[in-house]
Parts: sequence; C-alpha cells; structure tokens
Amino acid sequence: MEIKGADIVLKCLRAEGVELVFGYPGGAIMPLYDALEGSGVRHILTRHEQGAVFAAEGYARVTGEVGVAMATSGPGATNLVTGIADAKMDSVPLVCITGQVRSALIGTDAFQETDVFGVTLSLTKWSRLVRTIDEIPAAIAEGFYWARSGRPGPVVIDIPTDMLKAKKEFSGPVKFTPHARAADAKADGGFTDTIVALLQKSSKPVALVGAGAKLSGAIPELRRLLDDLSIPTFATVHGLGAVPPEAPYYLGMVGMHGTRAANTALNETDLLFVFGARLDDRVTGEPTRFAPHAKIVHFEIDPAQLDRVRPCELSVIGNLADTIPAFQAELRRHSLPDFSGWRAVACGPERAELDPRGLAQPTIRFLDELFSRLPENSVVIADVGQHQMWAAQRYRSSSPRGFITSGGLGAMGFALPAAVGVQLAKPDTCVLCVSGDGGFQMNIQELATVRRLGLPVKMVIVDNKYLGMVRQWQQLFYQRNYAETDLSDNPDFVEIAKAYKIHSFRLNEDAMREFPVSTETGDEIDRFLRSTEPELLVFDCAPEANVFPMVPAGAALSEMLLEEEPAQ
Amino acid sequence: MQTFHIRYRNTQGTLMRILNAASRRALDLPVVHAEPSEHDHLVTLALEVNQKQVGQLYREWYGIADVIKVSSGAAQAPAWTTAHPPAGVAMEDARAAARA
Repeated sequence: MEIKGADIVLKCLRAEGVELVFGYPGGAIMPLYDALEGSGVRHILTRHEQGAVFAAEGYARVTGEVGVAMATSGPGATNLVTGIADAKMDSVPLVCITGQVRSALIGTDAFQETDVFGVTLSLTKWSRLVRTIDEIPAAIAEGFYWARSGRPGPVVIDIPTDMLKAKKEFSGPVKFTPHARAADAKADGGFTDTIVALLQKSSKPVALVGAGAKLSGAIPELRRLLDDLSIPTFATVHGLGAVPPEAPYYLGMVGMHGTRAANTALNETDLLFVFGARLDDRVTGEPTRFAPHAKIVHFEIDPAQLDRVRPCELSVIGNLADTIPAFQAELRRHSLPDFSGWRAVACGPERAELDPRGLAQPTIRFLDELFSRLPENSVVIADVGQHQMWAAQRYRSSSPRGFITSGGLGAMGFALPAAVGVQLAKPDTCVLCVSGDGGFQMNIQELATVRRLGLPVKMVIVDNKYLGMVRQWQQLFYQRNYAETDLSDNPDFVEIAKAYKIHSFRLNEDAMREFPVSTETGDEIDRFLRSTEPELLVFDCAPEANVFPMVPAGAALSEMLLEEEPAQ
Repeated sequence: MQTFHIRYRNTQGTLMRILNAASRRALDLPVVHAEPSEHDHLVTLALEVNQKQVGQLYREWYGIADVIKVSSGAAQAPAWTTAHPPAGVAMEDARAAARA
C-alpha cells in the first residue's frame, strides 16, 4: 500500500524508538503535522522553535536517548540553530527535522526558504537534504546512527514539503550500516603498561572527569577505577555527578570557577589523567600554562579532541567502557607508590574552597538551603551566568545526569525549555530550573508550555537585576563600566507567572541572613519543592554579588581570584 | 605550504565540511582539487598551516562521517601566488563578452 512521505517519516521515527518530539508547526512542515495523530509519536508544542530544540536537548541529556525537534522551513529552521550549536558543543544526541519549500522552489529564494543544510553544515555531525521520497527511510536511519554514535551530536534532516506529501510503497524502516573508516581505530590495549609505568614514576597524580564519562555509560567502571587509584580527582561542569561528592579524594569542579583545591592540584600535578573531557578554555585557563608540570594521559572517544590544547604523553582513543576496565585490570597487577601524602595535601582543609565571607553570601546560602532540601535523585537544570556557576559549585549531585546546563555554548535561555524536556522524560522526578533574570526572559514564553502540560517544574529566578556575569567582568576588568547590563527595569516576574496561571512568590536576601533559616522560610521552600504543580520562586539577590573563585580570562588556573580585592 | 589528500565518499556536504575545517581556522584555500578516485572521491588541498593546525585538521577531517582517509604530501609551493582573480577583472571580462 502506498503511504505519504510524512507517514514514512513518523514510522521511521517510531522504529528508532522515538515517542516524543518537540516542535512548532508552519507551512512547509504541515504535512508532517497532519500525519501526527495516530502515529504513536507524541508532539510537544513549545512556543518558539528555540524552546523546542532546548526541550529536545533536555530530554536527550537526562535520558541519553536521541532528542527530536521539528520546525518548518526558513525562520522555523533558523530558530533551531542555537540549539543545534549547543548540542554540538555538549555532545548531545539530537535529530532536527525541518520542512523545506517544495523541491521545484529550492534555490529560488521562495517564501520561507533558507538554505538550512548550508546554515547548519558546520554545526552538525551529519545532515541531509532529502531529494526524493525514496531517500527518507535511509536518511532517518543514518541520521539517528550518527547522532548516537561515537561522540554524540546533532543531525539535521531537511525534507521538502512535496516529499512529505508524495506517496510510495513502504516496505519498512531500513538499517544503516556504516562503512569502514580509518578514523574508527581504537586503542588496542597496549596502552595499559605505559600508564602503569607513568604512575609508578609519578608523585602527584590527579584525575579530571568530563562529560565523556557519562556519555560512555561507564560510570560504575570509572568509580571503581578512581577508588583503586584514590588520587585527587575533579570534574568539569559536565562531569559533575560522575564522581560521588563524598568520595574522600574528590575536589569538586575545576576551571574558571572551579574550587581552589582542584585548580591548585591541577597546577601542581605531575601526571594528569583526563577521562572524556575536551579541555576547553574554561577548564584550562591560559592553555600554555595549563598543568605546567604534568604529563597527560587522555582517554577520549573523539580523536578530534586530542592534543587540541597541548600534546598528550599518551592518547587512549575509544569508549571509556572499554578502555577503563583494561586500565584497571592492568593496574591491579602492579603495586603503586603511596599517594596518601599527596592526597592529604591536595584534599586538606587549608585548601578550602571558599572564603568564609563568600559562604555567608545570601545567594549561596539560599542555594545551599534549596539543594539540601531537594528530594533524592532530583535533576537541577541551570541556565547561563552567575547563578549557573553558583549552582555548579554548590549542588553536590551523585547522579551522573543530575545536573544539566549549557556548558560549551553557554546559551542563555536554555534552562526553562530544557526543564520541560527533562520533566517529560522524568515525570516523577523533582526538576529544579535555576535561571537568572536575563536568561529567563530569553525563553519566558515556555511558561505557556509548562502550564499547558501541567508540568510540576520548580523554577527559580536568581534576580540581581543585572546581566550578572557580564556585570561581574565589567566590575573586575572594565573599571565598573556597567555598559548595558542594568536590568533594573525588569518586569515583575511574580505577576508574569500569575498571568500564565503559575503559582509564584518572592524571597529576599533577608530571609537568608538568619542561620539556620527560619522555620517559615524552610517550610516555604519545602512546600515549593514538593508541590505537584509548576511554581516560580523569585529570589532577590544583591546586585553586585560575585562568583568566586574566578580565573580571569587569559590567566593561568594558579592565578585564580579567591575574593574581591578590598576597595581602595 | 603543505598538501593534504582526503579520500571521502561524495555524499551531500562532505566536501564542504572538509573545506570548512580549513576556513573556520581562517586558512586561505589557494589550491583545491577534487575528483573521482576509484570508488570514492579525493580532494587535494594546499594550505599554509603550522604544526598544531595540521593535527587539528587531521582530527577534524577524520571526525566527518564520510571521510575515509587523510594523508599529507611534502610541502610545496602554491600553484599560483594570488588567492583569487580580482573580482573586478572577472566582471569586466563578463561585460566585454556580453558587449561582443
């Protein structure tokens, strides 16, 4: 029997295990929307295509499965671009299906025509502009393969509207078999004795854990290995949760806003193990002075990430699920030097992460209070800015997918729509979305999606009435010239939420000046976190609160600022 | 100037992704020659690169789904010294041809 191209798309999505797609309809993709009912694919309508792609990312980030976003041609598709770039940077498996103008109009600058294939070429792992209805099953199978395989990433499949309307016999979804490539070479196991030899010569080894540890699914293997090694260990922002925060060798986050202990250990180490991290500039500081005394052993699935910052002594290419057990098996056949003295120094109390004055800062007290009251296995989604770094510093999740943020791209407006995707994937989990007042307004329209679906997302705005992180840089490095970062004319977020029929309330800093907080404040936070309805909490934050420690741009990690310089 | 040979399956966008790896690093592309080769395609590029960029380019090219193999030849002089013919000349030629 002949069926339409749109039906073929949906059948192929089902064959890939897709149950949920996020999108926004429009002209060229109307045939696909027309076919949705009864297809077995549930569509979540967001209120902007960027909301759809971030929601799909949230879904993918918390489940590890492919997130799917749909949009129409032209502006619909270009509104996906930020999310596609975000997925590329943070290795998120994502498939975007875009409608395109009909085949005969392609290249004519037709209404709502954009060269989406061209626009997204450098942001995608793989993409396809479908030319005939016959190509649809293979395009979807190959697209999902590349989205999931190796280092996951985004894929775009652009389908002209006449291909969605056309009919053909459909014999079923196809399977994609990749061709052999030289790039698929993997570590052969010979690396293990080299690593052990490096360890035996080392006196100050450390381990750095990145997102690759989560993506590989090798968390149990990694944790066993780290327990065996018991060397000072820290994580990138996407590696948070991979190592239990209570592990005696764990030092927290490393990098620009990393802990003093982590950055100091990284500066002193003579042997650095990197597990699934691409070592971007937010992690390394000034690259030429990154881990200046260290030999580097880099475990990585994506060869493109090796030797990017500086050459490694040893690169171990492959999935951590394969390479870590091989390393551990070799390790257990040898005796290692006693690293306990080094560990005691690196993890010692004299390297405590924050100045006590910093810990007393009301916003940090507020976040500590909030996080300490979260139910087990909650997921925290942070937007981008100061609150993101405070949350990364203070939320101590032992769940590998318990903290989600736009780390590589740093896309403001990410958190609220991503929280929609996370809550849909985890309906029984407490999902806490922490935003700033700037970022929240970038996708504030998704309050309508939250309300429409009745999702019990808990939203917090840390409202300092500034673009806080930019303002912090202006304060520290641009002589307090607060150019265009003043948001003191923000709307009343509590009233806005009410307009969306979302319960909302405000807490101010004074509530956090008491320690411990009053029973009333504590009860209010508990009620908020346990509500079965969406809720918004606006926390009024001091306008000039800053995030410390901080490594200035272009400085080495050893040059981190621990607190503000006293006023002159 | 260093010569690179990249064997690839000639699928949509693959050649553009190969070239983009160079252009995103602000490298000029004075020599680009692509042609069918056995069952695949081969593109030869001559690029002015430093050692660090060579490593980055190799790894990025290998990250492209339909790239099969990357190799490099000896350093060589570019086939021509100017990167592109001046646009004005080409336009003038076109106008002259139209007038004729």
